[in-house]
Amino acid sequence: MTRTGTCVPKVDLRLKDDDRGRLLDWACEAYPREACGLLIGRPRSGGWSVVEVRRARNLEPERTDDRYVLDPAAFLAADRDARSEDLEVVGFWHSHPDSPAVPSETDRQAAWPGYAYVIVSVRRGRPREVRLWTFADDSFQEGSVIP
Amino acid sequence: MTIRAERDSETTTDGSPVVRVRIPTPLRVHTAGEAEVEIRGWTVREVLARLARAHEGIGPSILGPDGTRRRFVNIFLADRALRSEEDLDTPVSGGDVIAILPAVAGGAGAKERRLSTLRDEIPEVTPGEARELHRSGALLIDVREPDEVAAGMPVGARHLVRGYLELRIEEHAESFDTPIVLMCAGGVRSLLAADDLRRLGFRDVRSMAGGFGRWKADGLPVEIPATLGASERERYGRHLLIPEVGERGQLALRNGRVLLIGAGGLGSPAALYLAAAGVGTLGIIDDDVVDRSNLQRQILHTDDGVGTPKVDSARERLLALNPDIEVRTYPERLSSANAERLLAGWDVIVDGSDNFATRYLVNDVTVRFGIPNVHGSIYRFEGQVSVFWPGREESPGPCYRCLYPEPPPPELAPSCAEAGVLGVLPGVVGTLEAVETVKLLLGIGELLVGKLLHYDALSSEFRTFRVDRDPACEWCGDAVGTPPELIDYEAFCAVGAA
Repeated sequence: MTRTGTCVPKVDLRLKDDDRGRLLDWACEAYPREACGLLIGRPRSGGWSVVEVRRARNLEPERTDDRYVLDPAAFLAADRDARSEDLEVVGFWHSHPDSPAVPSETDRQAAWPGYAYVIVSVRRGRPREVRLWTFADDSFQEGSVIP
Repeated sequence: MTIRAERDSETTTDGSPVVRVRIPTPLRVHTAGEAEVEIRGWTVREVLARLARAHEGIGPSILGPDGTRRRFVNIFLADRALRSEEDLDTPVSGGDVIAILPAVAGGAGAKERRLSTLRDEIPEVTPGEARELHRSGALLIDVREPDEVAAGMPVGARHLVRGYLELRIEEHAESFDTPIVLMCAGGVRSLLAADDLRRLGFRDVRSMAGGFGRWKADGLPVEIPATLGASERERYGRHLLIPEVGERGQLALRNGRVLLIGAGGLGSPAALYLAAAGVGTLGIIDDDVVDRSNLQRQILHTDDGVGTPKVDSARERLLALNPDIEVRTYPERLSSANAERLLAGWDVIVDGSDNFATRYLVNDVTVRFGIPNVHGSIYRFEGQVSVFWPGREESPGPCYRCLYPEPPPPELAPSCAEAGVLGVLPGVVGTLEAVETVKLLLGIGELLVGKLLHYDALSSEFRTFRVDRDPACEWCGDAVGTPPELIDYEAFCAVGAA
């Protein structure tokens, strides 16, 4: 698939502490399976501001310990709800159980430019870290998660 | 939100309904930033095709060359997910909304997850720490593939390719408590390898983070290791399978320098097998020419070679067998005048001579040089093999003079030419000499040092006799500092006859 990459400067994602805590809670709750969901918000200069975080079903049929497939119906609903509030789906989050919050090859293969990808690391069921990544020119660049 | 209707003639003249298409964020660069566009069409597939034509760049992202949907795209008509290709032929009505949404997927992946767990359990060290551990006695083992280490590896590291790690680690590590640092190119394979060794029972295993790349970047010392090439791997494949040989042993053979005294009955099989085994440098001393009567047992030579120098005939045959080795030829008669020059610098001397004068000369020079003398001799149906090596550092063996202080009278020691010999016999004895030589170069097994192996072809018996070192030996005995000067061996053997 051809994905038009644009040179993306280092970006940040404004994520309220409550929402950050929600992501960690959901990730721990799903442990040892991967959890995933959507980030609704608005773009701003240098990144995005998240207004709402949502959890979605992981439809991966077999390897839920190390893979996820976000329920497209949840994406559609989030897209519709966001538009009604003049917001948009700015990105997605998923957890890495017992792995660092760094994109894997599996993540790279399915990534699209233009979205915020948040990875939540959980180690032995306990929250570890939340990191932001963007995808351009066939690779991930790290951004910052700011409160 | 702006909704822009398409104006190309195709979409406005056929009376088809107008639907709205939701464009996902990554594709809005193709719609001038618009989140939604209007497109006409009778079915979803037609709408998507027209969308692709109207907005160059969107097409390849959502449809393949054959018009089927791409894997990482979800298409919705209102709330209905269009999952199959047939679903795309669903008719549309005016005002319908088609949403194109990227499929969102990924995950930590099994590999990352496993590595992450291993990093919690297996200690990782920096290249600098690995070097210090190696200096204090830890094994530093490079598990990369042969073509990777050919470009360089840490000084002092041992190469043990990961595929054979568990099978061969015990050749390197003495006990389960031996400290081991594993390394690879980047620190991933070494982590997995460390896990393998841990399961095997090794208790002190670490992985070098960053691998060879970081070792080099940190400016630590690197050497270009000797490795076998692809054709060598093919040629010596059966050797490489033997743990006692392996790549290390084969390299030792390649580095080996063996001088054969004589290209006759004993030298022929010895030289052929040593060449076949990959002994890198073979020297052959012989001043004789090929005689048709030699061909009954001297298998280095052929009927075409009758009349040519034996060293030339031998060289041609050995290089035909193994063109990768070096064969040095000395068409000279070994004597006191040239022996030290000719025998200097070799790892092993294989004595296949047919007379006592040469045997004593070879003995005396090898004693002087401290190098092993692989001895073979034959008489009609009997042969004997031994390794004379008084210069061996650990438990020195006897020399030929310890066994035979004086030569027998010539009338009791006829040559093959005089007494005759069963043609196959030197094949057995010369081959046993080659076996001892290969063991010497590999540093394996029990050598025939201090032992004489006797073979009787008629009774089909092998017997081994113990040969003790003579502490009073004039050449290698305890009182001998520097062995005596070489003598006139022809005269010595003639005196023996007196």
